[in-house]
Amino acid sequence: MKSLIKALTNGILRANPTFILLLGLCPTLAVSTSIDNAFGMTGSVLFVLLAANVIVSLLRRWIPDRARIPTFIVIIATLVTIVDLALKAYVPALSKSLGMYVPLIVVNCIILGRAEAFASKNNVAHSIADAVGMSVGFGVAILLISFVRQVLGSGKLELFNVSVFSIPGLDSNPAAIFLLPMGAFFVIGVLLALFRWVGVSECE
Amino acid sequence: MTKQRGSAYPIVFLTLVVLLSVVSLTLIDATTHEKILAAQEAEVQEMLAALFPTLETYQFEETSGLYTILAEGAVIGQARMLQAGGYGGAIDILVGLQPDGKLRGIRIISQQETPGLGAKISEPTFLDQFVGLSASEVELSKDGGAIDAITGATISSRAVADEVRDAIRDSFQEGGDD
Repeated sequence: MKSLIKALTNGILRANPTFILLLGLCPTLAVSTSIDNAFGMTGSVLFVLLAANVIVSLLRRWIPDRARIPTFIVIIATLVTIVDLALKAYVPALSKSLGMYVPLIVVNCIILGRAEAFASKNNVAHSIADAVGMSVGFGVAILLISFVRQVLGSGKLELFNVSVFSIPGLDSNPAAIFLLPMGAFFVIGVLLALFRWVGVSECE
Repeated sequence: MTKQRGSAYPIVFLTLVVLLSVVSLTLIDATTHEKILAAQEAEVQEMLAALFPTLETYQFEETSGLYTILAEGAVIGQARMLQAGGYGGAIDILVGLQPDGKLRGIRIISQQETPGLGAKISEPTFLDQFVGLSASEVELSKDGGAIDAITGATISSRAVADEVRDAIRDSFQEGGDD
């Protein structure tokens, strides 16, 4: 039980995929322009990571060592295509704004990394805990980044088309640079430094 | 992963995994295909209705890419999709024309222009300038037309104006004046 909790919390702080492991940064930087996108991406990653971890963990005794990476890729690619089609069919607006980044989950190192480093060596229960922990860690990170980028870049916070607050002065003249790729690097750089400063990033 | 197996085992295993993948994707595709088409159709319908509020039905001709807009049995206009080369990538535009060849209006369907600058091509202040123009007027004001470019985004503004003008001339020749 203790090891289950450890597997679960591992991904949130101690081995946070974005801030500590620095995995899967490309989609994180690219879709973190709004909180809505961040939620959509987190949901997609949670589903793919959970399903991939469960399947890999179930098959771990039969997956041949030499062909394990192609096997992982086929499993992940199948799951991602399912998510992509489901988003297109049921939430077309979100699918449009996530654009090509859903298909790119295939090559998101978080998912392949967890299949290789965790699910292929651990039982299903632990793999589920790991997937949930890692997804929450990813979600917290991308929500944090997109919160800063959206608030500074547009001067207001909107959640699913509902206005939450706006900053007087900044909303009429926003710092649009934060919505550009370079703004993403600024924000993640400052957040990484913060994480390091408060000391959570004592990497193993 | 420690058991000894024949050298063909990885091939057999991977083939099985791929087969399973193909079967599940075929099933998913079969269940979502209709819904995806319906969602795309609804999106087009919504955008056409934004340009032609009285729209009742429309007909789409695949070869020319032309939407013919009908209301009360009469043709009230035409519309088509365009793609312009913007500053940050392709800009997809929907153009609506009235039977007299004048612009009914345009809508930006998708764009990757710079946020805060070129991305303003999607805003009404820019789009509304196109309403009611004929082909010769669709040009930036600095080039002698009636469209005021967005400050700091001349390339994006010009890309839209040029593409719209060409489209009026090409596909609705009765509307062009050259």
